[in-house]
This record gives sequence, C-alpha cells and structure tokens, in this order.
Amino acid sequence: MDFGFKLSPSSAVNLDTVDHARYDRLVQLVPDALTCIGCGSCSATCTAAPWSGMSVRKVLLGLQRGRDDEVDSMLSKCMLCGKCTMVCPRGINTRHLILTLCRLSRKGEVVR
Amino acid sequence: MRERFANGFDPFVIPFLIGMAFVLGYCIVAMFRIIIQLPKADRKRFLLTLITPKYIWMNIRDIFLNCLIHVKLWKRNKVLGYMHSSIAFGWFMIILLGHLEVILFLPNRIHLFYYPIFFNYFVAETESTIQGSLLMFLMDFFLLIILSGIVLAIIKRFASRIVGMRRTTRLSLMDQVGLYSLWAIFPLRLLAESFTAHISGGSFLTIPANWVFRQFLGNDLHALPTWWAYSIALCVFMCVLPFTRYMHIPAEMLLIPMRNAGIRIRHPRKGFALLEVYSCPACGVCIDACPMSVRKVNCKDTTVYLNRMLRRGNERRIEEISDKCLLCGKCTAVCQVGVQGPELRIAQRERRAYALSPSYSAINVRPLASAVVHGAGGESGGVLYFAGCMTHLTPSIRRATASLLDKAGVRWQMMDPENGLCCGRPLMMAGRTEQARELIAKNAEIIRASGCDTLLLSCPICYKVFLEEYKLEGVRVVHHSVFFEELIAGGQLQVRRDDGLKLVFHDPCELGRGCGIYEEPRRAVAAAGELVEAGKHHAEAICCGGSLGSLTLSYDQRRPMTRNALENLTVANPDQIVTACPLCLATFVRQADRPVRDIAEVLDAHC
Amino acid sequence: MVNRTPVIAIIGAGIAGLEAARQLSALGYEPVLIEKAPVTGGHVAEWNRLFPDMSPAADLVQSLEAATAKVRTMTGTEIASINRLKDGYSLVLSDGNILVCQAVLFATGFHLFDASKKEEYGYGIYDRVITNRDLEQWFNTRQDERIRHPKAVGFVHCVGSRDVKAGNTQCSKVCCITAIKEAIEVKEAFPDAEVYCFYMDLRLYGKKYEDFYIRAQRDLGIHFIRGRVSEVGEDIDGRVVVKAEDTLSGKPVKVTLDLLVLMSGIVCNPDAQSYAQQIGVAIDDDGFLKSRNNLGSIVESSRPGVFFAGACTGAKTIPETLAEARSAALAIHHYFNNRG
Repeated sequence: MDFGFKLSPSSAVNLDTVDHARYDRLVQLVPDALTCIGCGSCSATCTAAPWSGMSVRKVLLGLQRGRDDEVDSMLSKCMLCGKCTMVCPRGINTRHLILTLCRLSRKGEVVR
Repeated sequence: MRERFANGFDPFVIPFLIGMAFVLGYCIVAMFRIIIQLPKADRKRFLLTLITPKYIWMNIRDIFLNCLIHVKLWKRNKVLGYMHSSIAFGWFMIILLGHLEVILFLPNRIHLFYYPIFFNYFVAETESTIQGSLLMFLMDFFLLIILSGIVLAIIKRFASRIVGMRRTTRLSLMDQVGLYSLWAIFPLRLLAESFTAHISGGSFLTIPANWVFRQFLGNDLHALPTWWAYSIALCVFMCVLPFTRYMHIPAEMLLIPMRNAGIRIRHPRKGFALLEVYSCPACGVCIDACPMSVRKVNCKDTTVYLNRMLRRGNERRIEEISDKCLLCGKCTAVCQVGVQGPELRIAQRERRAYALSPSYSAINVRPLASAVVHGAGGESGGVLYFAGCMTHLTPSIRRATASLLDKAGVRWQMMDPENGLCCGRPLMMAGRTEQARELIAKNAEIIRASGCDTLLLSCPICYKVFLEEYKLEGVRVVHHSVFFEELIAGGQLQVRRDDGLKLVFHDPCELGRGCGIYEEPRRAVAAAGELVEAGKHHAEAICCGGSLGSLTLSYDQRRPMTRNALENLTVANPDQIVTACPLCLATFVRQADRPVRDIAEVLDAHC
Repeated sequence: MVNRTPVIAIIGAGIAGLEAARQLSALGYEPVLIEKAPVTGGHVAEWNRLFPDMSPAADLVQSLEAATAKVRTMTGTEIASINRLKDGYSLVLSDGNILVCQAVLFATGFHLFDASKKEEYGYGIYDRVITNRDLEQWFNTRQDERIRHPKAVGFVHCVGSRDVKAGNTQCSKVCCITAIKEAIEVKEAFPDAEVYCFYMDLRLYGKKYEDFYIRAQRDLGIHFIRGRVSEVGEDIDGRVVVKAEDTLSGKPVKVTLDLLVLMSGIVCNPDAQSYAQQIGVAIDDDGFLKSRNNLGSIVESSRPGVFFAGACTGAKTIPETLAEARSAALAIHHYFNNRG
C-alpha cells in the first residue's frame, strides 16, 4: 500500500510480525515479569542506566515489540547490583529476570 | 595367651577382608583422582605441605580433634558431641588397642590384617597379667562407650528433638543400609566377644555377659555364627561406605590437610569441590541453621541436599538449590566439617552458559576519576567514601556517615555522589566472575586516581569485595562501623551514652561471617546505649532475607525469613535494631515493629 | 425484640461513626461513640478543604458533631478488650468501665501509611520532605518551618499504596485526586512555583474529578510526569533532588525541589485488626476487615451483630463513607427487627 510517504521500518512496530518467542519463554521461566506496571522505578534507579540506558521496564517492552537489538544493548551494561529489585513496587525479582533473559537465545531457548 | 588355631585363620574373616580391600582400594583411587584434579599450582602447594613439619603437626592435630573428638560439635551440642566422639574415638581406640594386643601377645601375627579385629576369637587366655587385663578392660570400656553412642544415635534417629535438633536429614536407601550395618557392628561384637569370653578372657562387660549367656545356652555353637555376623556387618558397612554419607570419614581426613594448605574451590565438580561434597556427613545441622528453612519447602534447598544432589548428579536440582541460596554462610559456620555451602554454589553458578554476557570495558570512567581528583583539590591522602548502590537507596546512612566524618574533622570526599559503578560483588555472587573483574578494574582506576589513603564503605557487600578482590596498595579498605569505632576510641568522636536505650546489633552476613567483623560494631553500639544480644548472634546471626546472594527467591518467599530474623533480634526487647548494612536496613525497616537504624545513624544521633 | 433500647457500640467517632450515630439515634436506638483520640472527627478533622467542592472539612465535621450532640460520646477512651456474650458484646474500656452492647459497629477508619518506612524517599531525614497530612495541616495553620516559599514542589503519588514492599498492594483510591487538589492549592499559594506530580497511573473516577485534572493542566500549568520516584537525594543547599523515569519519553529525569509531598496511602487501622481478632471477625488478605461479601453486604461482617462503616473495609471517599454509615445504620435496624 502506498501511503504517499515512507514508514521507516525501524520506528513502527508491526505486532502481526513481531517474534516474541524470547519474551514468551521468559515469562514462562519468570512469571512475575508479567506483573510489571511500567512505573519506571527500575530505570530511574539503575546504576547502569547512564551507560546503556538500561531499564527493566524498557527491556520487557522491547521484547514484546521485537526490539531485540535494543534489549541486548541495554542488558550489556547491567551490573546486577539489585537496586531495581529493591525499588520494584510489584516485588519482581528483576535480577532473576535479567539473568534468565541472558541465558535465552533470540529464539527463546535456554543455552547450554 | 596362646593361639587357638595353628593356622590363625577362619573363613569368617573373609567378608571383613573383602570389605576392607574394597574400601581401601576405593578411597586410594578417589584420593588420587582428587589430587590429580587440582590445578597444578594448588597440587604443588598441597603436596609441599605434606612434607612441611609445621603443616604435618597441624594436620595431625586437626584430624585428631575434628575427626575423632569432634570438638566443634561438642561446643555446639554436648549430646551430639558425645554421640559422635564416642563412636569415632571409641572405634579408633578399639582398633588401636587391638593392634596393641597383637603386638604384645602375638607379635608374629601382626602382618595379618584381621587379627587385631577378631583377636578374641583366635586366642585363649592362659594366664592373667596386669597388661592383659588392663587391655581387656580398656577394650570393654571403649566398647561400652561406643554402645552408649549407638543408643544415642538410635534415639536421635527416631526423636531428633531430644538431642536438640528440630530437623534431621531424610536418609537415602544406601544411607539406611550403612546406618543399620553400623548400628549392628558393635552389639554384634559385644555378643561375639561375650560368647568366647570364657576362652579368650574378657573384662567387666564380656565376662558377666558370658556368664549370663552360659546360664541358658548349653553350648558354644552360636559363637561362630555371631563372629560371622560381626564380620559380615563390617563387610556390608565398608562395601556401602563409598556410596553413603559415611564417606565423610575418609574424605575429611584428606579435606583437613587440603584446607590447611589453603586450597580453594576452583572447579564446580572436581578436585576440592568434590572432596567437600564427599566430606559432608549429612548430619543436617545446616537444615535448622538455614534461614530459608523457616519455610518447610525450603528445607530441601539446604547444603546437605546440595551435596547429595551433587553426588547423584541431579542437574535440575543442583541448579535450583544453587540459585536459591542467600549465600549467608551460616551453614558453613555451623558445619562440623566446614563444607563451604556458598562457595560450592557460586562455583555451580559460574559454570552456567549465557547467550548474552555484559561487558564494561567500554565504560569511560575518566569523568568519574577526574571528579574525585578535583574533589580532593589535588591533595593526596584523606578518606574516599564509596556509598555504593544500596546506600543510594538508604539516604539516612549516607547523611549520617557524612555528618560523622565532618564532626570528627576527617578530610574526606565522596566517590559516587551522583552515580558510580557497582563494586562487582553482586556479579561475583551470581557467578559472573569474569565480568566482575572488569568492574573491579574500573573502580580501582577511580580509587587510584583519587590519591586517597583510606577507602570507606558503608555497605558490607562492597566492603568484602574491595577487601578481597581489589589490589589497592597503600589504600586501607575499611567498613564504616570499624572506622567510627576507631574514631570513638581515639577521642575524635564524642558519643553521649544513653543508658536507658536498649540496642541490639544485627550482624550483616557479609560483615560478620563474610569478613569476621563482630566486635568493633558492638563496641561502637555500646558507646551509644546498652547493647543487648539477639537470640542467635555473631557467627550464628540470621540473615535478614534480603541478600543479593539468592538469585531466585521471590519477595514473598523472603518475607517469612525477614520476620523470623526480626523475631530473633527482638528476644531481649530492644528499643532499636541496629545494623551496619543498607540492604539489611531496607529489608528490616518495612517489617519491623520498632525503629531500625544503621550504626552511623545511631552514632550521629548521639554525637 | 428486647424490651429496653438496644445499645450499639460504635468504635471510632470519625465521619463514619458520627453519621451512623446520627442515623441510629433517629431510628430510636442508643448508639455509644467510643473514640481513642481526644476529639471527634477523625482524619477529616485534620484536613483543610475537601474535593470536589473545595468545602471546608471543618464544616462537615461540625455539622456531624452538631447532629450527634445528644449521643453518648466517650473521647480519649481506648478499648482494652472486647468479648462475645450470649447475645451481644462487652467492651472493657481504658477508663475501667465495661460497656455491654447488643451490636458493634466498626467505624475504625484507616491509618495513613508511615512514609518513613519508604527509606529511599527520606521522610524524617530530609527537612523538605513532608506528607499529605503535613501539607493539610499547613493549609490549616499556615505554619510549618519546612514550607517557606518554595520555588519547586513535587508530589509523589502511591507512597505505600500499590507497593508490595510496603505491605499494601491495593490502590488507596483517593490519593490521585488529593494530590491534584493539593497541587492546585499549593500553586494558588505560590503562583511562581513549578509543581510536579509523579504518578504511576492517574485514577480519577469520581464526580468532577476530571475537572480538577483539566484545571491543573490548563489553568495552572502543573507538570504531570508518568514515573514513580525511585530515589531522593539532597544537594549542598539542602534542596531535595528527585530521580524518576519519565516513562512516556523513556528518559530518566532529575529535578531539584524545595518541597516534596509524599501522598501516604491508606492502610487498615491496626487497632481494628486487633478488635476483630478478639471477637472472631475475619480480616481480608488486603489487611482490611472482611465484609460478608463485597457487593450487597459490605457493611455486614460474617458475625451476627457486628457491622462495618467506612474505611475499615478498604479505602473510601467521604461520600462513600457517609453512604455506608447510613447503610450500616439501616442494616443494624433490620438486624434488630428480624431478631424480634
């Protein structure tokens, strides 16, 4: 279809085609991840945020929106310091979430 | 004494010989395997200590005190101490005295393995001598001691509360076989020796027993079968030993010299780790000690079960148990053998494969470093205060620490006023040691740039890693509780003591068991008020439940642990709970029924 | 029905207790108000003006007090213990008297969450961090050392609400609108101040609430930032530095404020829990008292002769509380009619 202008493929999310296998596997392993209310406490307190924009909130959203590269780049500076776990109002064990996510391939398999 | 049989042999010794040969062979092979599995440097170090007189003496002493006398267990629980040392030391003495008898009376038979064990079957008493009756007396005496230990063991198995244990391990099938054969050995020995006591002689136990039996048993026909049974019990015990918890007996004898040599766990399953796993006596002391065991379902996540799963190779459970643990170290503190539960678990975590690994090498710390150089005004020396991640969430600690430093007139500046890097300890706890090393290098760069001579930490998690893993020559790494205690002792801080204020000190895991700091914070707390102790304290303090050590415990699962820790802290009904860790503080404050304060806050309020 | 007038013990003389007492005496019963505090009116008496009409809280309290002037009221009286009798209850009071009654009405209200339990917000540590209650008191008295012509003011929603770590997973229902109401009042008091509201979700469902929101946005230029405050620090001048994420732009924000107001949430009054346990009234898993059901019988407990009104069963607005108090009075009336 011609909209008369170009939609940049990087800025629009097509939920029909997004592959969220990694997210599905993650919530299977860490069901608490489903309870995130996106309050942003984790992002604001994050020790690694100044270096990679790390935010557990954005990681969870990114996984559901097919933004895998952004997710991986955010995770790459996480120091597992545990501040996000401390401030999460829903009591999500974010360290467990991050470590579990780091063990998953893009296809959502646990690497051995 | 004379021999009853010219050939000095009877077929009933064969089971014993089989068992003995098997267990010796197995242990020798296992020992060599473990030594070979050690990294080369460790192996060399260990073998060197075996020929160094200082270490030889140390090893003999420790093996005697720990394996035979069980001094650690005595200190903990007199009944259990008696039970274990009666069996271990008594058995050792019986073997030793058996050899003495052979040497004394039949020195030509000393080369026969089984002679000291079955001495009373093979000899007949010709005359009574002082040495002879003394030896006989001692043999009976130690047999009685062992039997009393066995009675206690049976009581413990069926009613563990009587000996002061709330929970004990559930035995595997092999352990049961081992246990029952061990229980059988000594009563059988008593019976066998009693039946032949009118020939071989005996003492206060065997002679009267012999007399009693002879009253209603007309002949000696049952004597030989009893000796057979005794030998078979020994055989069964020794044959199953490598597959039961009793493997801890030989394993500990290797563990002690290796630990004395300073060997550490380098591989999750090989070498020293393997030895620790086999050294676990599965006594279950760690079950009651574990802070997780307030929830009954977590009893199976204690170190004793980790060791069992490691022996069985149950990977799913190994992962589960390893990741759940708070790494508080209490199991090690109470363990009679000193199995390092946390280190074993971290080693398992290190083994894990990741699709994604963080890297911090690209982080530019120059702005942070130049900020501290600028802060020092170009002067070197002074105190650099690293608040750390958790202290940023507990502003009260930061503020009180700053205030105390100012009051004491210390020249200081902050390393992470806005943001900093994590110290690396949480990564290490998660088994990501390589990544932690990168962070350590980055932080070390900032510290060196500051030119400080003291690095002050208000978080024990940071303190432990700065102390152990950072190479900061010329910089003293100190926890704020210790630093302030020194300032009080030196008179730079004047603390007003409020005699009516009852304070209890909670030992943070990483500060107490982790770094061995118990007394300095207590002295500091006592300067501000009346110090009372918790139910369990010092090395046996109970983790607050907030530890970063656990990777998988959820908030809901941790809550009962926090509640239990708080109950323990408030037994003496203190007015305030004092701790020295931001994580403990944040964990306690939300559930406590009374104020929870950091040690810096308490001191600052009284300065 | 019993010959003499049934006595109904009303625990708590806040607006729920007062309204119920008024209705019960009108129905011919003998209510007795037992209040722990030295004065009646409860939390509302501490407040300044009330949404949505911005009417003075004192007016409401005074009209309720006037209507219950003849009701036996025991202020400064605590309940030492409460026991079940064959057909009623006996209350042992702190003055040593024993009150025998045929029905008990819990109008015990709520407690404001103790904001100092959220360590990271620095209440009780930083001078410039106050709570909603502190601010209302300032509106009443205009006297507070901590409030001196602020140039920048922040409101933190959901302090101790929707927070499992604070032990309260529920929404406190009234804080969003209270925060906006107070933000408007602060802006009116200090027109040159920048006012920020840090919220997770804005839950403004009541009559005219949206008007407050629109007014705050359009007329007063109050900034709404969708992000929960995670850390509060202090700069050299003693101003507070607030860190949050502006989740709508996905960027961390930092702002320096002269005053930070924490919207402490509503938690159950611990006294109510203790009384409930003594007479076997169930406590719900949210910590509040458990109604027989949460649709048609909110004011009834599962125990005969025990009724609820107001915030003892959960966070409520004032109109809801008053309506419940009337409803409880009717439920009690039916209870005695049916017994007869």
